[in-house]
Amino acid sequence: MSDQGKVGVPLLEAVDLHKTYRMGSVDVPVLQGSSMKLDPGEWVAVLGASGSGKSTLLHLLGGLDTPDPKGGEVMYKGRTISTLTRGARNRYRNREVGLVFQFYHLLPELNVLENTLLPGLVGSGIRADRDRARELLSTFGLDHRLTHRPRELSGGERQRVAIARALLNKPEVLLADEPTGNLDEDTGSEILELLKKEHQAGLSIVMVTHDRAIAELADRVVVLHHGRVDQDQSLSIQ
Amino acid sequence: MYHFLLTSRYLTSRIIPLLAIAAVALCVALVIVVVSVMTGFLDMIKDSGRTLMGDVMISYPVSGIPWYDDLIEEVEAMPEVVAAAPMVETIGVLRMPYPRGAVKEPKMVQIWGVDPERFAKVTTFGETLMWPEVPESARYQVSHDEAYGPIIDTFDRTQRIAILRASDWEDTEGMSDSQVADMGSALTQPEWYEHMRHLMLDKGDTLPRILRDDQRLDMQKVIELEQAGRLPIDLDVLAEGLSMSRNGRPGIVAGIHVSDANYRDSNGEYQIGGNGHWWLPRYEGALTTIPVDATGGTLEPETVLMPFVNEFSSGVFAVDEIRVMIPLGTAQRMMHLDAAEIVDEFDPMKVVGVEPARATMILVRGQDDIDPLDLRELVRAAYQRFTDKMIETQPGSVSPPIEGINPSLRILTWEEQNAAFIGPVEKERALMRTLFSIVYVVCAALVLAIFWAIVYEKTRDIGILRSIGASRPGIVWIFLLYGLVVGIIGAVIGLGLGWLITANVNGIHDLLAQPPGWLAWSLAAVTVITLLWTFLKLFTGRILPVMLGLMISILLGLLTALVFILDAQGGVVIWDPAVYYFSEVPNSIDLPAAIITMIGAVIFSLVGAAIPAARAADVDPVKALRYE
Repeated sequence: MSDQGKVGVPLLEAVDLHKTYRMGSVDVPVLQGSSMKLDPGEWVAVLGASGSGKSTLLHLLGGLDTPDPKGGEVMYKGRTISTLTRGARNRYRNREVGLVFQFYHLLPELNVLENTLLPGLVGSGIRADRDRARELLSTFGLDHRLTHRPRELSGGERQRVAIARALLNKPEVLLADEPTGNLDEDTGSEILELLKKEHQAGLSIVMVTHDRAIAELADRVVVLHHGRVDQDQSLSIQ
Repeated sequence: MYHFLLTSRYLTSRIIPLLAIAAVALCVALVIVVVSVMTGFLDMIKDSGRTLMGDVMISYPVSGIPWYDDLIEEVEAMPEVVAAAPMVETIGVLRMPYPRGAVKEPKMVQIWGVDPERFAKVTTFGETLMWPEVPESARYQVSHDEAYGPIIDTFDRTQRIAILRASDWEDTEGMSDSQVADMGSALTQPEWYEHMRHLMLDKGDTLPRILRDDQRLDMQKVIELEQAGRLPIDLDVLAEGLSMSRNGRPGIVAGIHVSDANYRDSNGEYQIGGNGHWWLPRYEGALTTIPVDATGGTLEPETVLMPFVNEFSSGVFAVDEIRVMIPLGTAQRMMHLDAAEIVDEFDPMKVVGVEPARATMILVRGQDDIDPLDLRELVRAAYQRFTDKMIETQPGSVSPPIEGINPSLRILTWEEQNAAFIGPVEKERALMRTLFSIVYVVCAALVLAIFWAIVYEKTRDIGILRSIGASRPGIVWIFLLYGLVVGIIGAVIGLGLGWLITANVNGIHDLLAQPPGWLAWSLAAVTVITLLWTFLKLFTGRILPVMLGLMISILLGLLTALVFILDAQGGVVIWDPAVYYFSEVPNSIDLPAAIITMIGAVIFSLVGAAIPAARAADVDPVKALRYE
């Protein structure tokens, strides 16, 4: 995955994705042929109502899940993710993408610094880059919180820790699932500001949201409706 | 190395793993205590062989081995041998000095005729002697015996008959003088002293007519001294050291449980029945054996009246209840195994030779570092040299029994001699080990259940770890490591706990036997405090603390009641020496077994953790992350 910067190849691309979940004896189609792409350095917002399949799309992009057999594919720098070996997919999640969730998903037993270091520990197996973690946390205004447990932090602080964790291994893409969904408006704005800064520094972002106002911060908005991409619009259209 | 980080955090920040550790520790402690006590028991049995009989014995029952001193010389010449001692073993009937009156209790006993000095070099006989001095509870009676004894010894037959007729102790109406005399001779000396005292005190007018003047004056002096509380106590009752005789008379050293007068209280200490009245060394016993002649037929029974000079406590109940020791010479005479002149068949005045004294058993003690089986072979070779020499130097005379020709001649180690006794205990220990291995399964099941709950609780964490790239084997390894650490910590705590219980098992036993008052009262106090706490928690509206408080209170309450009941009933003796052979519970830890148990616990903790770990690896990260 070192073939960085191939001219004309999107960084991340979803091609005609189908995903069906089985609930009891009923098959529930969640994605029914969704396609989208993300160019290097781009910020794409995926806008959709609850149940439109936007989280599932994000999970497929992040390599946490695989599309249905013959249900399309996810391409990263032109290579299919779902056909990679397990080890290679683990490395993809660890190095190439960073995931941020609505409910922060920090480990309650670990303190702020340890939570941030976790992808480093998982990836290298030996020593994580403590300086990188401290630097990130400092940038996010958390240097006085390093030894605190997640339960001692506010929602905004938790989400900043989660973003720091996602960025530790310097991924190319940040995949954010409703990153402000659980925060009040002011705190949400702070988080979005933070994402904006990282984006300006060169980070590519796919952000899922149900909030049109937030989606409009992105370079481009993709609208998901019943598992299909309805429009692929650039910010300038609005 | 996020595994170590997570494992250490999961261990230190939650209560559930502590439960798992406690479960493992209890399982390990249980197995260690049970196996250690069993092993200790077996070791005590094996050790007791050495302390009671030495390492190797040459035995030729009934007929005995002649020229045994030559044999002992031959055996003791070997540097591997510490000492050897001759012994005559037989069975007999011992007429005990009790109960009061003409009818006494007879007891079947195993008689060991030993030379005490040599016997004590092979065994720990000297250390097992019970009474280094007269116990406090027997001093009063003994001083009476000492004071009245010499006077009573001067009474003649007529006086004795008159005394018995005058006393209302025995019903002598209608009995002839000789019947009364027979009855009198059946009384023990201490019983005579009792008679005299009562007669002097209650029927002072009768005695002067029976006693001579000098006897009456002596008696009067003793009574005055007694009433003034100045009775002389010259307590020369016990045999000196190992001499096994008193005033030149051979005496009996009886096992502590031979006499019914000794009983063991719940503290494990020996008490003398009836306020010292039946403290054996005050009395005499009549020992009867049946000698056997050269053809294997029986001869007239031999009876010897001997004072008890001491008692011994070997710690092995089966020995202490049946064995009495008497001097070797006495036993040889009683069994007709002593040296005797051989006379001419037609002219009894003509001595044609000397029949040597015999011993039915030679006990051999080896150096500490020699294996009993090696020692046995050395002794066997020495015995061979001994028989060769005897056949050469004593031609035509009696010859010692020869191995292979005389089948009842045996040269065995203690363990072989007592195989029928040791074997079942060894089997029992193996059975215990097998049965208690089930505890491992319990241990694994507990760890499994607890880890299952932990994995369930940690599902979201697993999803997060997977989302940042943790592999499935990585997730398995977290929980295996967790199980390993729980197993190791549990096993180490279990070892400590097991050691603590095993080392203090006698103290715990004594505590059960006689729970101290403070224990009951402090338990009661803690119960009341817990109940109060529970009552206060009622107002918080939460059910869990109330439930916990109630359960702990009930448990403590039951414990308190149990201690009070034990206290009221005078305790319980679980380790009854009559059942367990030994008077002490073995209290040393069986280290090899403990280490095996610990390793087993760690392995089974891993087995218990493996299944939840596999389940954790199978967690679908997408589903796991939906949990909130």
